[in-house]
Amino acid sequence: MEDLRKLKREMVRQAVRENVELLEGRPPSALRRARPLRRLAGAAALVVVPLAVFASVNAIGHAPSAGPEVVVVPVRPGATPEPSLESVPWPRPRTIDPTVFRLSVGTVVIDPGHGGSDPGARTEDGLSEKSVTLDVALRLKALLEGASYRVVLTRDADRQVPLRERARVARESGGDLFVSIHVNSIPRPDGGGVETYYLGPTDDPAVRELAGSENLGSGYSLADFRSLLESVYVDVRQSESRRLAGAVQERLVSALRPVEPALADRGVKSAPFVVLIASEMPAVLAEVSSISNGEEARRLAEPAHRQRIAEALAKGLTDFAERVGRSGRG
Amino acid sequence: MTAKGKDVLHVGIDLGTSRSSISASSGERHVVDSYVGWPVDMVARKVVKKPILFGREALENRPMLDLHRPLERGLIKEGSEKDEAAVRELLKHLITMAGGGEGKKVQAVIGVPAEAMRVSRQHLRTAVKGVADALMIVSEPFAVAYGLDALLHTMIIDIGAGTTDFCVMNGRYPTDDDQRTLTHAGDSVDDQLMLLVRTRHPEARFTVHMVREWKERKSFVGEPPQPVVVTIPVKGKPTEIDITAEMKKACESLVGPLAETMLDLLSRVDPEYQERVRNNVILAGGGSQIPGLAAALERALGEVGGGRVRAVDDPVFVGSNGGLAVALDAPEGDWEMLPG
Repeated sequence: MEDLRKLKREMVRQAVRENVELLEGRPPSALRRARPLRRLAGAAALVVVPLAVFASVNAIGHAPSAGPEVVVVPVRPGATPEPSLESVPWPRPRTIDPTVFRLSVGTVVIDPGHGGSDPGARTEDGLSEKSVTLDVALRLKALLEGASYRVVLTRDADRQVPLRERARVARESGGDLFVSIHVNSIPRPDGGGVETYYLGPTDDPAVRELAGSENLGSGYSLADFRSLLESVYVDVRQSESRRLAGAVQERLVSALRPVEPALADRGVKSAPFVVLIASEMPAVLAEVSSISNGEEARRLAEPAHRQRIAEALAKGLTDFAERVGRSGRG
Repeated sequence: MTAKGKDVLHVGIDLGTSRSSISASSGERHVVDSYVGWPVDMVARKVVKKPILFGREALENRPMLDLHRPLERGLIKEGSEKDEAAVRELLKHLITMAGGGEGKKVQAVIGVPAEAMRVSRQHLRTAVKGVADALMIVSEPFAVAYGLDALLHTMIIDIGAGTTDFCVMNGRYPTDDDQRTLTHAGDSVDDQLMLLVRTRHPEARFTVHMVREWKERKSFVGEPPQPVVVTIPVKGKPTEIDITAEMKKACESLVGPLAETMLDLLSRVDPEYQERVRNNVILAGGGSQIPGLAAALERALGEVGGGRVRAVDDPVFVGSNGGLAVALDAPEGDWEMLPG
């Protein structure tokens, strides 16, 4: 009993210390990761988690697993012929923390939103989202290539590319990061600002509407979409994507505020954009301005401003890449 | 009067995605659905007769409200000032219900998902600033373990709405390495169930709130205790639909991820103590009450030598009771270092 009291005293003391550290702006020592040796041991444990673990899970009712895979990826979307109960796949577990590995970022996939017969949002005087996103994407490509990254564009001209095709390009190019560039249109006279999305559910009606509109013409059937939604809840990339979104949003706001002091920071949000679900790598969708806001639309028409946006995106991506272990290739 | 002085009210709060509960040193205990709503305009304000509504009352009046469920997967939605305000209002509401705000000094321990501790501690601390005179934030599974005196060779699995939190208690304050958070939890079961029923019955009309209620009344893992039949409007006509298979599939979607994470965490425990931890697995949170879930996890433990999984008796207040226990045990001098 006395032992328990001592143990509780010690734990309360540690809880208090952690909170004091937080108040002082220091990383709480109790929540820091264990020593490097232990982290290495943790990573090794991930690799050698025995077949028994998987066997036990399968015994409960999972589909057979091919083996003790370490990194569990979401179920790849495929055609599901009948909407039967069995056609909805089991969610796969998400238990691995990728930060235990020294991941590198070599290839960045840039997805300029809309294109071709799909102009996206437009201003009355003819500025279209598709042209802004392509221009920013090409500028971003040049910046990243200058920093020795390999860059893949999902479109490099004014043509329509279904979301499904964009996701395929991203997957098959061996991309490490995916950034989809869009321009917002907010149906309010004062609506404007920048926001960055990562994959996840939302119960915000405005965000749902936006995701619905961006998902139009995705090239996926309803059955596919059911499988895609499954992966929203099992996605090993989500915490990475959230961090990536945070890095991009921070850079966009800090780069654009000096020229647009009234710019609204609409924050980092989650939403079920098809292109993010299907791309199978840490992925974000950045709404880099609002074309429906007169002041922002005027600036979007300026090449210098589009360059500023591209530079902010490049800095956000490289911030994240450096954080996960590498700052460039070559 | 409290153990530490008549002017101090100690409270433990379980800040949950779906429900939030409070246990106070005065003996008061309350639970509220984690919904906060503000009337959308003056007309709505006149109809609801309150400047702000909480919980079930907010949900029932949602057409007239700017309604917020401010936590998403156990985290305050980032970038949303309104959701941050909703969290503060929710906490103030709980504290008022428990007898705070009557000239008493309130010292609060708030339990949040382990993921919130890991990802956005500073954000959370800033968001809840000002709700109490002194404030301590702890991880929810730690609060549960503390309240149950289960601090040694125990694994807590706290199945909430937004997240399932795992924590191995091995006689020290838990670190990141001792904890895991999965997003397979109550909400993911709701989403699965909604998807499955909608797939089988595309003509039926129902909402996520109805699905949540079905799950809370009829969930199960394994053999169904009875057929699950619900009444859903189909083309405007109330129709009875058997959703037993869908309910089974949705609830059992938790089993695989939970079992794998449990076994993974277990494999990291000092081999000398693994058997003791295997025999001390405690399920907490609303999901702990799903019939058959503990047995399914015990079957998974059978693969590594067997063990015992039990659900807590009081899932609604086990976290807030634990928070209260921490609050009462913290020395007064420590509270002075933790301004709210």
